[in-house]
Amino acid sequence: MKRNALVGLIALAALTTAAYAGTIHGKVSGVSGESVVYVEAIAGKTFPAPAQHVLIDQKGLMFAPHIVAVAQGTTVDFLNSDSVAHNVFWISISGNKKLGHNLGTWPKGQKQSFKFDNPGVVPLLCNVHPEMAAYVIVSPTPYFATTDKSGEYKIENVPDGAYTVTAWHEGAKYKSNPVKVAGDTTADFTLSK
Amino acid sequence: MDSSRQTKFLVAAVLLLLVPRFSYAIPAFSRQYGTSCTTCHIDFPKLNDFGKAFKDAGFKFPKDDESFLKAPPIMLGAPAQAELWPHTVYPGVIPGLPPIGLRYNTFFQQASANRNNFNAVLPVGTVGTFIPKSDFQPGLFSIFTAGNFGSGISFWVDDDISVAGANSNGGLGDGWVKFNNISRLFKLPTDSLSLRVGQFELDIPFSQARTWNMSGWDIFDEANIGVQNGLAPLQNVNNGFAFSSPAVGLELSGGHAYGGYHYSVAVVGQNTSGAAANPPNVSPQNGVAFASDSNFKDLYGRFSYRFNLERDKASRTDIQAAGATGPRDHTSLALGTFYYYGRSVQSLSGVLADGVTPTVLTAREPFYRIGGDVNFNYRTFNLFGVYLAGHDHNLLPVTSGEAEGPTGFVVSNPATFSGGFVEADYLALPWMMAIMRWDVVKSSADRVNFIEYDPAAPPSSSFFSPYSATRNRFTPGVQFLIHANIKASFEYQIRPKQIVYDPATGTALTQPFRTNLATAGLEWVY
Repeated sequence: MKRNALVGLIALAALTTAAYAGTIHGKVSGVSGESVVYVEAIAGKTFPAPAQHVLIDQKGLMFAPHIVAVAQGTTVDFLNSDSVAHNVFWISISGNKKLGHNLGTWPKGQKQSFKFDNPGVVPLLCNVHPEMAAYVIVSPTPYFATTDKSGEYKIENVPDGAYTVTAWHEGAKYKSNPVKVAGDTTADFTLSK
Repeated sequence: MDSSRQTKFLVAAVLLLLVPRFSYAIPAFSRQYGTSCTTCHIDFPKLNDFGKAFKDAGFKFPKDDESFLKAPPIMLGAPAQAELWPHTVYPGVIPGLPPIGLRYNTFFQQASANRNNFNAVLPVGTVGTFIPKSDFQPGLFSIFTAGNFGSGISFWVDDDISVAGANSNGGLGDGWVKFNNISRLFKLPTDSLSLRVGQFELDIPFSQARTWNMSGWDIFDEANIGVQNGLAPLQNVNNGFAFSSPAVGLELSGGHAYGGYHYSVAVVGQNTSGAAANPPNVSPQNGVAFASDSNFKDLYGRFSYRFNLERDKASRTDIQAAGATGPRDHTSLALGTFYYYGRSVQSLSGVLADGVTPTVLTAREPFYRIGGDVNFNYRTFNLFGVYLAGHDHNLLPVTSGEAEGPTGFVVSNPATFSGGFVEADYLALPWMMAIMRWDVVKSSADRVNFIEYDPAAPPSSSFFSPYSATRNRFTPGVQFLIHANIKASFEYQIRPKQIVYDPATGTALTQPFRTNLATAGLEWVY
């Protein structure tokens, strides 16, 4: 009997949370092209690592896509689709050089995987082709979005509450703003280089 | 001694030793493929293995070239037109972007205190040649273009527009078209046969025209000018051929520079005198004079084999754009040999056997150059060298009896030289390469020619007066890539044991001394 009551309470709590899950939307201006907006770490809350892998291809001497946003704990597969060898490395994650890593160099058709357990901005490079670059934005929460080219974004299913939301754009200074989410919430950012 | 020949020899020698040189990387390819110079170059223009493969493939990516092109080529006919051939012009392409690259370089030189020792031979009060202690020197402004026309046809043209600040014509370097992999037409193994036609640097082990050093390797500049004065047995050899000079002709080649075998066989025009013929009774094509000075065509052959020694199988067998742990850490050993055969021709006025009737006497003096080379690379350390020996048949003009001029030739001791170089390059950082070189040329003729030179045409520099028949040069250097297309280079040439002789007596006027030269250069290509 007690057990049934407990299950009921949990279900009620879940329904209540869902009922109060909001949306953060807005626009990142001051820059052109894609940006990433994400909710910073929430004190006391952890999130399971996503099981689904994300793919970054190396094709035509370019990383594709150029910017990828993932949740903390996501495994990214790096595929080489070119008929020349490629390498993947990063010298730091959000400036922390201790988190730099070299995945090595591999030929066409092969891929290497890496699980990003540390949140932050990962600037990907290839030491064979120095013009190649890409970014993995590792969000500490599952609440993130990539803007469209006009800068519009939408993060759904964010529980109501007070958060710090960060907007990042390649080559621009990132900006973190406090955002109080209550249902449908607007948060605009203006970035500068 | 023939002062014009000696002057030519001295000027050529001095220029070759003093003039800093740099050569090419191809920005046009960076534009077309949207990639950095370092995709093909270690320290431009030094090619990495991928660059060698790119060149071997006819300036294309060895595989899936189209997928890398950021600027699609312009079709000169739909590919389907090929099926109509020979009833249509076979379709080809031209590069989508004009494949033009430009380069400029500038230098600063600092010469050692002994630089004007040569003036010691001049009578007191004579104005000698002055070599400044330091000197800013404008370099070369050059244009170069290269690419491919589809169907495996590649091309290259480079020309110096301005030399040393003057708008003098530095002349055409290479200008050729290459039919890559024509082996496919004969059902031979891929890349086993290609044909190149035009003006090109011979397939020597290490390109002098595209060397990354500021000064070229001495042995490739060595011409065989026989002993021209009376202090030694006379040699009637005046062979201006040097491997650094471009040849004109055609070349068959095959294999790859990045692994396995490579060969080339060339048939090129003979011109050892350096004089182009422009006879009045024949109108040269398009006003261009004849390039050869004899009927004979010279032959050149080269064979080399490269062993890739990487532990990782893929790195060992694939085109080594990158090793397993990085882009430059390849281990390989290449061995090669090369041979050149030509026939130097000299004509002079003489008389027939009657001793009176004028005639033209022609000395045809076969010559050969034979050499071997080794190239070892361990990760970012590259050690390589060349040994070369030269041999010229020597026909001395003789005057019989009371004849009024030479009546024929007798065979004398051949004119020979030998030498080579050893160089070590260490890529300390992707943008910094340290270099150490030792150049050596052994030529008794060179030495004797400088002992008794023509006082009316003294050497313009004191940087070429060997104490013995062996001429050494040690050249440490370092090069920095400021960007992938901008390079700063430093080189310090040390020439031990030079000396100045009295041209009248052959006695030494000075103690042996060194003439050193420090050179700094900046080069950029775009």
